[in-house]
Amino acid sequence: MDLLLKIKGLSKAFGGLTALQDINLQVESGDIVGIIGPNGAGKTTLFNCITSLYHPSEGEIQFQGIPITARKSKKKEALIRRLTMLFFFLGLCWVPLFWSVFLPQTDYPFEMFLVGLFILAIQVFLVIGLRKFEIWAWGLTLVFLLNDLIFAFWWLKYPHENMSLIGTEIPANFLGIPWSIAALPFSAYFLWQLLHKPVRRLFGFRVGPDAICRAGISRTFQNIRLFFNLSVLDNVKTGFHVRLKTGVLGALLRTRFQREEEILAEKEALNCLRFVGLEQKAFHMAGALAYGEQRRLEIARALASEPRLILLDEPAAGMNPKESAHMTELILKIRENGISVLIIEHDMKVMMNLADRIYVLDYGKLISEGSPEEIRSDPKVIEAYLGKAHAAC
Amino acid sequence: MTALNPAKLRNHTLISCLILFIVLLPWIPLGHSSNYLLRILTTAILYMILALGLNIVPGFTGLLDLGYVGFYGIGAYTSALLTIHYDLSLWVILPLAALNGALWGVLLGLPTLRLTGDYFAIVTFGFSELVVLVLRNELWLTRGPMGLPGIPAPSIFGHTLVHEWEFYYLILFLLLIVLFAVTRLEDSRLGRAWFAIREDEIAAQCCGINLIRYKVTAFAISASIGAMGGAFYARWFLFIHPDMFKFWESILILCLIVFGGMGSIAGTMLGALILIPLSEILRIVLPQELFNARYLVYGFILVLMMRLRPEGLIPFERSRAAKALKTKKRIGSATGKEAV
Repeated sequence: MDLLLKIKGLSKAFGGLTALQDINLQVESGDIVGIIGPNGAGKTTLFNCITSLYHPSEGEIQFQGIPITARKSKKKEALIRRLTMLFFFLGLCWVPLFWSVFLPQTDYPFEMFLVGLFILAIQVFLVIGLRKFEIWAWGLTLVFLLNDLIFAFWWLKYPHENMSLIGTEIPANFLGIPWSIAALPFSAYFLWQLLHKPVRRLFGFRVGPDAICRAGISRTFQNIRLFFNLSVLDNVKTGFHVRLKTGVLGALLRTRFQREEEILAEKEALNCLRFVGLEQKAFHMAGALAYGEQRRLEIARALASEPRLILLDEPAAGMNPKESAHMTELILKIRENGISVLIIEHDMKVMMNLADRIYVLDYGKLISEGSPEEIRSDPKVIEAYLGKAHAAC
Repeated sequence: MTALNPAKLRNHTLISCLILFIVLLPWIPLGHSSNYLLRILTTAILYMILALGLNIVPGFTGLLDLGYVGFYGIGAYTSALLTIHYDLSLWVILPLAALNGALWGVLLGLPTLRLTGDYFAIVTFGFSELVVLVLRNELWLTRGPMGLPGIPAPSIFGHTLVHEWEFYYLILFLLLIVLFAVTRLEDSRLGRAWFAIREDEIAAQCCGINLIRYKVTAFAISASIGAMGGAFYARWFLFIHPDMFKFWESILILCLIVFGGMGSIAGTMLGALILIPLSEILRIVLPQELFNARYLVYGFILVLMMRLRPEGLIPFERSRAAKALKTKKRIGSATGKEAV
């Protein structure tokens, strides 16, 4: 059994209110782990922290050994990185280009040197802000430094030549245009870095709800969040988003690759729907489904992204005994397919049948953990649910 | 949510396109249609293009964009300036204008698309005002309030367009291209992501959709279509002025979408095809002194729509339901039996 999800000392405070306090929790692969607790105990907050919808105040969440904790400070660092790149982009390509297009008659003047110096200053500031050695950043700062040194050199050598670069023989175009052309591939590279996913790994693990889904955790919601105006099939196909690759161009040209992807998605989506028993309704609008069916559709959509771990937030809420028995079966079937389940549920019967281990939350603290039998007889749990008097007897 | 009767559903996009492109539009210039009529229709089709472009943002992605006309203006001025200064061909200018529009769309979108709802609408509104202000004040570039007269008419394969019907076919061709692009985008991974964002942002995020990325994409594509419309407009009208790109235009285009059905392509086109010529019809019908009050009629129509059919002429939900039905048939015939 390998460790899938590990939560260490997780806390979450909303202003003065502590919603979660020092939570430690583990999910091993192939497990069904339950979380119970009275209303307002922080169960859904925990889910939101795991899926990166909230930024935890403290603690760490690891998924398959990789930290996936969303942090405000990390976001700031990413912002600084992006700003650095943006300024490189501006400085490398657009300033000289702008200069040579709009002021083609003037020589490369002193102001240009000042602009370069200004950009350089921002560069240095930002690169120091990164607090980490990154070769591309330092390398390009050096390029800028060199550029300005050359200008400074010429300026000192020919102070009377109207601050131009090489006397008046070489106009700005001569320098600006090749400079810009040379800078274009660099700029393209940086834009690529800014926008494209694989290269974005340079930034480390990018945290956000979509990245969490990509990493292999998907979830359902306590209050159903379906795309009600789309068909059932389209809902599940949207769940496939992370497994498909078509971009704008692919969609416009409708390449063979894109067509094959669509067909695959459709087939798999129908499979998912069959899995939860909704294939009869595949072409209905999601909003027209009954309540229990909507819950199952949410699960189908979550399964579509091929997660390793699925978070179910009260899947059996508001269901009659027959429906919740179906739900239990479905969840067991999910586990059989090798997907671990972390589940919040109020229905004790469902929970006792399903869970391998149960964590009990009360007022944001873990008060107990163990197998269903242990939980059932734990006085602390009984106290949390029914009050002190019951726990005593 | 009412269950939709499948028998009543048809693929509106397909049917309306068929009607438009085969039955109705191409034959109009062949009769004794006057230039006046053709000019109105060209305007209507231009607005169809604009509405299709705008539809991507509020219709597909669910963000209220009040600054669309800014991109229209950027496209028009890009086209006009490139024509006047460099005398480029229309076929070079159209993609360049679209690219320029997309560039500004991305530049505006990246920082502002993190805002939600009304705040975003306000920022886009500010953008459209900003564009007009720049166009009005940067005399060295745009000649400001003097406008840009004397834009040369486009020529195609060496033949300079003069007649109204030539422009009419040109814009019809452009509409076809835009329609082609938009329908394909709608029916793809990208389109699904947009719809998901429109329906529920949090659920979309948890499905692995990167909100900012898809919103910016939507914004850029919408902006590039708007800019393309503007590029055509400059080469057709041969004179542009900052006042043509005032905030009011944005509202008008938004009206077309709301009237036709937000998010549905057929509805959007229908809205433009009805409301734009309506202005001219009102010019004839209304007495002289009431003519300037014709936009009151627009307001009245919108109020009526909100009361009687708030989801527009061809609602989004219906078009999706029709699409689902089509898929069902396709899958059914592919597997040799009815899948459901």
